[in-house]
Amino acid sequence: MPDAIVTRNLTKTFGKKVAVRDLSLAIPTGSLCGVIGPNGAGKTTTIRMIMSIIFPDSGELSVLGKASAVESKDRIGYLPEERGLYKKMRVAAFLAYIAKLKGVDSAAAGKKAAHWLARVGLGDVARKKCEELSKGMQQKVQFIASVIHEPDLLILDEVFSGLDPVNRRLMRELIDEQHRAGRTILFSTHAMYEAEQLCDRILMIHDGRKVLDSTLAQIRADFDPRTIVAEPDGDPAAAAELLRRLPIIREVESVAGDNGRPGSQLTIRLVDSAQPPAALAAITAAAPMRRVELTRVNLEDVFIDLVQTEAGATISRDALRAADSPALEPAHAS
Amino acid sequence: MLRKTLFVAWREFSSTVFTKGFLLGVLMMPVIAAIAIGGAALTDRLKGPRVSGSIAVIDRAGGVAPGISARFSKDALKAEKDKAAEAMAAEAKRQAEKFGLPPEQVQAAPAIAAKVVDNAMADADISIDVLAPDADAEIEKIPLATADARQNSDTPVDVRPRLALAVIPPGAIAKGADGEYATFDLFTAPKLDFQIKLRIERKISEAVIDARVQNDPALRASGHTAESIRELMKRPEARVASITATGEKKDLGVGQIFLPMAFMGLLLMSVMTGGQLLLTSTVEEKSSRVMEVLLSAVSPVQLMLGKIVGQMTVSLLMLAMYSGVGVAGLVAFSFMHILDPKLLIYMFIFFFISFFTIASLLAAVGSAVSEMREAQTLQTPIIFLIMIPWLLVLPISRAPNAAYSVALSFVPIINPFVMMIRLTGSEPPPFWQIPVAIAIGLATVVFSVWAAAKVFRIGVLMYGKPPNIRTLIKWVRMA
Repeated sequence: MPDAIVTRNLTKTFGKKVAVRDLSLAIPTGSLCGVIGPNGAGKTTTIRMIMSIIFPDSGELSVLGKASAVESKDRIGYLPEERGLYKKMRVAAFLAYIAKLKGVDSAAAGKKAAHWLARVGLGDVARKKCEELSKGMQQKVQFIASVIHEPDLLILDEVFSGLDPVNRRLMRELIDEQHRAGRTILFSTHAMYEAEQLCDRILMIHDGRKVLDSTLAQIRADFDPRTIVAEPDGDPAAAAELLRRLPIIREVESVAGDNGRPGSQLTIRLVDSAQPPAALAAITAAAPMRRVELTRVNLEDVFIDLVQTEAGATISRDALRAADSPALEPAHAS
Repeated sequence: MLRKTLFVAWREFSSTVFTKGFLLGVLMMPVIAAIAIGGAALTDRLKGPRVSGSIAVIDRAGGVAPGISARFSKDALKAEKDKAAEAMAAEAKRQAEKFGLPPEQVQAAPAIAAKVVDNAMADADISIDVLAPDADAEIEKIPLATADARQNSDTPVDVRPRLALAVIPPGAIAKGADGEYATFDLFTAPKLDFQIKLRIERKISEAVIDARVQNDPALRASGHTAESIRELMKRPEARVASITATGEKKDLGVGQIFLPMAFMGLLLMSVMTGGQLLLTSTVEEKSSRVMEVLLSAVSPVQLMLGKIVGQMTVSLLMLAMYSGVGVAGLVAFSFMHILDPKLLIYMFIFFFISFFTIASLLAAVGSAVSEMREAQTLQTPIIFLIMIPWLLVLPISRAPNAAYSVALSFVPIINPFVMMIRLTGSEPPPFWQIPVAIAIGLATVVFSVWAAAKVFRIGVLMYGKPPNIRTLIKWVRMA
């Protein structure tokens, strides 16, 4: 099956700022692809070019097999980052209007709007004016507006921003449902853990350039940190000393544990030849442990590694992390 | 392509028209107008206040007091009122004939006019109290302050309130050393009805003039009286008619200026209302961030055209309603003959031209800004431009074929308005100028829609600092 989106050497500048630089990518049909990168990386610009809302200075692209999204607008669902509703319009009328604009015939548009509103638990607000809805409700209505015409390709820009945890979960379910229905989904976020939870494919953009474009499974394999986190049952310093003698271990670092006590937890890095399962067994055998855990790859670390490598490691890891992490989410998905 | 544009147009139309504000505003207008006209008619029926009292006269000149007394006698007051009613009736008949009203209305006009006069002129029961020529004006003024002009007329004459005190100096009827007549003093009670005050003043003035004529030996010798001189001085009236190729055409007087004003007003009002609504709705789409959602379904040009067509339909509806009311009014009052139906057709042609021009410019302004406040600066030049024809209504309608009128007919943007004024003016423009003006108008439409589409395409996704006119021009010139 041909790729849903293909771009070749896309470049877009705004005045002196190069927003997107030489971007080539291919999004396979049926994939759920996350575009991640910090604020200002060029995600929205890329998406707008894919949508033919703005046009690249140079480069080519094809969307659903056409040279421009304009030709297949009705087969694309788009939830822009800058999204809103007609304040004075009634919710159902708004959705029916958008559906009609996207080629749904007039008779079916109203029915679809009602169906979707019921589906997301907003059946009783159909006759209300959009301005009367809460922010979360408005987000859901905007999501419906992007899928109401059953598009083949769904592009969602910063879909989770402004949602509470309950609606975040609902949104994840809705996206997953669209994915299972066979639609190609491209969504952007600056919160990388969201992408990690949902996507099967990741596109990382930094400073207008693609720094990573791969499946999540491949990324996990390529960027396996080969790191084990352990909490010794006893004196951590003594345990660390014992572990350093093992040949499979390259380095042991004492860090603050979950209880906040400095030095109560160990970060153990393995030598390249070590097999993680065997290493786990060897560690527990060497010293009594309360907890031993193999650290899984985490997109944020991958991103920071990639950016640091590129920048010649001049930027401190913590500085980058501080700039990118949302305040309330865990920095590690352990 | 067309289907989506029409959906946008329909939303634009329905979201504007099917609102309480619009329905009330448009439907209530004729009702309010009817109430206003009815109210004006009603006030005519109201009787003026009935006044009774006395006027004290200190005639230091001698010979004026009898004239004043005679003028305020009951018979004289009634005769005056009858005469005014008669004059008004005659004038009403003359005007009715001048406008070419049907005979039954010409017949009815005098009676209506007489009734109006009868109601308007206050009934007055005024007696004249001639004081001694050497009476002290300061003392005689005192009763004025406490007078109540509305007192019952049954009150005995000696206690009736003093409404005014007139002091006529000798110089009022005999020229002084400087060759001028002196003024006379008139002191009045407070709260005296202003019409009564005017009548008192006028009557005393007339009495003074009569006395002057009496006092002038030369005039006396020639046999002239004040009355005969007044007759001589009456301004003659002209019967005005313009001579056209088809014969004599009655001059319409005020109608001549009413028609261009009405057509210009209708055209300007409908274009501006629609243009403003379009500007507001475009800015709203941007500020509520619904714009990009729309752009995922329609192209910027489709959106802009849809919006223009939608608002044009709103304006067209208003124009049709208002001109319909106007035509109905003319028919009801049998004035339809002053209106050439061709003018209505021209009005709609020029409406389309000016609407598309102005609306596309305003849509471009709306797309470039993020808030209504920012739109003010950018739309000022456009508003200013279309206010120009307002200033030109009078000069152009007075000289529809003067060089400047012809030249302005070919200036883009304002030429639909100028042509409308000329077409409704006293002499029609040469026929060839009409299609030329229309062609220039259409070219302007094509250019402004093209330029606006360019600005719109870039502007709709721009947020932040509003651009200035130079930037907008730069956007137009960008490929």
